[in-house]
Amino acid sequence: MNVSPRKLLRVARWEVSRTVGTVDRKTAVLGAVALLLTLGVAAGGLLAGGVALDEDIYAVAVSSDSPYHESVTDSTPLEAVPVGAPNADVYVDDRDPSDREATVSVANTRKGQAALGAFRSAVERHNARLLAAEENQSAAFPVGVTLSYVERASERVGASDGSAGENDDGAIGGDGTGDSDGAGDDAGDRSAGSGTASDGGAGSGLGVPDFGGIAGSLFGGQPTGSPAEIAPPFPFSSLVLAFAFLVPMNFVIQAYGSTILNERINRRGELLLVAPLSRTDIVAGKTLPYAGVALAATTVIALAVGGGPLSVAAVFPIALVFLAATFVGAMFARSFKELTFVTVTVSVALTTYAFVPAIFSTVTPVALISPLTLVVRDLQGEAVSIAEYLFSTGPFYLVAGTLFATGIGVYREEDMFTQRAVPLKFLDALAVRLHRPRDVALLSALSVPFVFVAELLGVAVLFALPEGAAIVALLVVVAVVEEVAKGVGVYAGFHRSRFERDLPTALKLGALSGAGFFLAEKATVVVQVVGLGSLPLGEAAFGTAGVGSGLGPAAGLALVALPLLLHVVTAAVGAVGATRGRRAWAGTLLVAMAIHFTYDLTVVSALG
Amino acid sequence: MITVDGLRKVYGDFVAVHGSTFDVEPGEIFGVVGPNGAGKTTTLKTLAGLIEPTAGTVRVAGEPAGDPETRTALGFLPEESPLYEDMTARSYLRFFADLYDVPRETANQRIETALDDLELEHRDRRLGDVSKGMKRKVAIARSLVNDPDVLIYDEPASGLDPLTTNYVLEYVRDLADAGKTVLFSAHNLYHVESVCDRVVIMNEGEIVARGTVEEIRAEHGETTYRVFTTVPVERSEPDGDRHVTTVDSMDAVEEVREAAAAAGGEVIDIRTRESTLEEIFLDVAGQPMPGSRRVAPGAVEGDRERDPSEPSEPPEAPEAAE
Repeated sequence: MNVSPRKLLRVARWEVSRTVGTVDRKTAVLGAVALLLTLGVAAGGLLAGGVALDEDIYAVAVSSDSPYHESVTDSTPLEAVPVGAPNADVYVDDRDPSDREATVSVANTRKGQAALGAFRSAVERHNARLLAAEENQSAAFPVGVTLSYVERASERVGASDGSAGENDDGAIGGDGTGDSDGAGDDAGDRSAGSGTASDGGAGSGLGVPDFGGIAGSLFGGQPTGSPAEIAPPFPFSSLVLAFAFLVPMNFVIQAYGSTILNERINRRGELLLVAPLSRTDIVAGKTLPYAGVALAATTVIALAVGGGPLSVAAVFPIALVFLAATFVGAMFARSFKELTFVTVTVSVALTTYAFVPAIFSTVTPVALISPLTLVVRDLQGEAVSIAEYLFSTGPFYLVAGTLFATGIGVYREEDMFTQRAVPLKFLDALAVRLHRPRDVALLSALSVPFVFVAELLGVAVLFALPEGAAIVALLVVVAVVEEVAKGVGVYAGFHRSRFERDLPTALKLGALSGAGFFLAEKATVVVQVVGLGSLPLGEAAFGTAGVGSGLGPAAGLALVALPLLLHVVTAAVGAVGATRGRRAWAGTLLVAMAIHFTYDLTVVSALG
Repeated sequence: MITVDGLRKVYGDFVAVHGSTFDVEPGEIFGVVGPNGAGKTTTLKTLAGLIEPTAGTVRVAGEPAGDPETRTALGFLPEESPLYEDMTARSYLRFFADLYDVPRETANQRIETALDDLELEHRDRRLGDVSKGMKRKVAIARSLVNDPDVLIYDEPASGLDPLTTNYVLEYVRDLADAGKTVLFSAHNLYHVESVCDRVVIMNEGEIVARGTVEEIRAEHGETTYRVFTTVPVERSEPDGDRHVTTVDSMDAVEEVREAAAAAGGEVIDIRTRESTLEEIFLDVAGQPMPGSRRVAPGAVEGDRERDPSEPSEPPEAPEAAE
C-alpha cells in the first residue's frame, strides 16, 4: 500500500493531540526543567560569544606589541598573559624588533604540543583573516615563506615564524630553535605535576587523559581541578555539544518508545491496522511529531550556540537514528521494563558513537566519523565538503532507514502482539523480508550500513592503541561483524522455514549473501574521499590498501575478485551450518570468521 | 458478499486453519463457532485483512481481503475493545471517521446516531473511565463510522452482562435487517442460535459442520420422542401418575401407542426433544464448548423439549461466557 501524506498527517495530528492530552503535570514539569536546562547551557554559550567552552585553556606569554598578540586575543582557547608570567603554556619571544624571527617555545609535554597546535591554528586563522581583508589582493601577494623544522633535544619545542605569513602546508614554521627562557618546566606544572617531558611520548600506549584536579590530588598531585589541567586537553566542545544536542533526544525517545509500545499493549494498534491506511502511514504518522520535536530542539540549540543549517543537518540524522532504534526496540520489547533497557542502550551507544571519534579532533578522518565534528566546524566557520557531510551522516541516514524498514516489517498483527523473545522477534523481522533466495542478498546489502557504523566505531575506539595491536584487534572486529551480518539473514530464513534445509540451498544462499554484501560494501568507497583510507586503521578496516597505488591490472582484478570470493565462501560456510540449527551455525560462523580474519591479515601484511 | 476458498493459515509448524471454504450472502448473519484454538479468530482476522493467508483466497465484496477498498467497506470488532483510553467516545470515533475519509458533517451525524442507537452515555468522558459495556458499545459504534457493508464481529458480547449482551445481539440483528452482512464468532452457542442465519462449527482449524442451525441439527443432532401413557408399557418409567417412554422414531411411537392400547390404556401426550447446538458440538467436536454451563442430568440447559403442536420458544438468555 502506498503512503498517503494526508492520512499520515492525520495520524500525526492524532498522536500530537493524544500525547499532549495525556502528559501529566509532573512529566510536563520535568520536561520543562530539562528543556530549560538545555537551553540554559546553550544560552550560556551564546552569551559567551558562541561555543566558548574551551575558552582560555592555554596561556600564551606574548608581548602586547607583538604581531602575535592579536592572533592570541582573537583565539578562544588562547589567553594572552604578560611576558614573564609563570605557568604559561606558550612563550613567544620576539622582543628584539631587529630580529625578524620570533621564537615560540612550549613545554615538551602533551599539553605543550596541544597548546602549540592551538597557537599555530590561531595564527593561521588570523593570517587568513588579514589576507581576506586586504582590498587589493594582488598587491598583498605573494608572500614568501621559508620553512625549516629543527629537531630538538630540550624540553621545549620551538617554532619561529619569520613573516607571520601562511606557509605551504598550513603550519607555522621557521628555522629558529626553541630557546628556553627557563619557564619550560613551569609550563609543565600546569598539568598538575604530570606535564614532564617524559609524558610527551605521543603514540606510545593508550592516550588516556592524565587527570589533574581531584584525581591528581588523590594521588599526590597539585589540587588544581580545572578542565585546562587535563593532558591531553579534553575535547570539551564535543562533550558539551553531545550533552546539548543529545540529552533532549533522550526525552524524545522515552515518549516515542512509550507510544509505540502502547500500541502493542492490549492490541490497541489492531484497529489502526484494519483501517484503510498502510503500515508506513501509521508508523510515519506516529513518528513525525517526535521527529519534529527533535528537529525543533536541534534547531533551537544550534541557533543558541551560534550554529547554522549545517549544525542542524549534522545532528538531525543522529536524531533519526535515535528514533529508528527506539522504534525497533519498542517493536521487540515485551514490556515497558524492557523498553527502558532499549532506550538506555540506544542513548549510550549513540552518544558514544557521536562523542568518541570527536576525541581525536586533530585526526580529521577519524573525527569526521562523528557528525558533531561537522557542528564544531560549522561553529568555527570552516567549510564542509559534501563528501565529508555524506561520510559523517550517510551511515546515520542508512541505518535509520534500514531500522525503520525493519520495524515496519513487523508492524503487523502477526508479530506486534506476540510475546516472543527479542532474538526470535529479530529473526522474524528479517524473515519477513525473505520471499525468494535473492532477498538474502538484499538483506546482506542492507546490513552494510550497520557494518560500516560498527567498523567506524571500531576505528575510533581502537585508534588510541599501538598501531600493530589496533590493526589486529580491528581485523577481529571486522571478521566478526561482517560474518554475522552476512549470516544472520540466511539463518533467519532457515529458522523460519523460508528455505529448504539442504546443502545446495545453503550454498546458493551463501553465495547470494556474500555477493550482496560485497556489492554494497563497495559503496563504502566514500571513506577514501574523506581520507580515512590513508590511515593505517582505515586501510585495515575498509580494505583501501592498494587502491590507486599503481598496481597492475592483474593485481587490481585480484583485489576486486578476492574479496568477492572471500565473502561468498565464508557466507556459504556459515549457511551450511545454519541449515542444521543454532549451534551448528555458531560453529560454522566461527570457522567463517577465522577464514575472514586470516585473509584480511594476510592482505594487510602483504600490502604493508 | 464474502467468499472464503481453501483458506489455510500456518504459524511456523502450527496449522491454525486447514483449508476452510464457505461463503456469506449479503444481509446474512453468519456465525463461526468453536472452542479456543479452533481457528475462528484467525479466520475472522484474515477476512479483516489483518492476517495474510498462507494459502487460499479470501474475498470481501469481490475484492481480496486487505485491499484498501475492502478495508473501507469493512467494520471490524475484535474480541477485546482495545480503545485509546485517554480519548473521549466522540473524539475516538471522529478520529476513525477521519481515517475512513468520512466527511466531517456526515461523520458527526453518523456518530451521534450510533451513540443514540446504542444508548451510549458519557460521550465526552475519557474512555478509560467508562464501564466495560460502554467500551464495547463504543467499539461497536467505531465499527460503524464508515457505514460498512460488511461487519466482522469477534465475540461481540464477550464479557458483557446479560442485559447488555441481549442489547448487543438485538442490535446486530437490526444491522442485518438494515442490509449489513454480519459475520460473527461466539463461544456461547445460544448467541449463535438466536441470531445467526447460518453457522459453521470449527474445531482444530477445520470446519466440522455447516448450514442453518436446523440443518445442522437435522444432520448431526437427533430427535427423541417422549410418549406419555396412562398405563405402563415396556421400557416406560413412571412420571407422576403417568408413564413415559423415550423412543427415537415415529414408528417406535406407534409401537408404544399399540402397546398401551393392548394394556387397556392410551397415549395422552407426545413431546419431541431436539439436540441442542451444544450437544451437537460435543458430538462433532468431541469436546464441550468452553464456557458452557454445567447442568444437572435431566435438566439440560437449552433443552428444546416441546409439544409438537406448540410453537418453539427460545430459553432465557444464559449468562455470557467469560
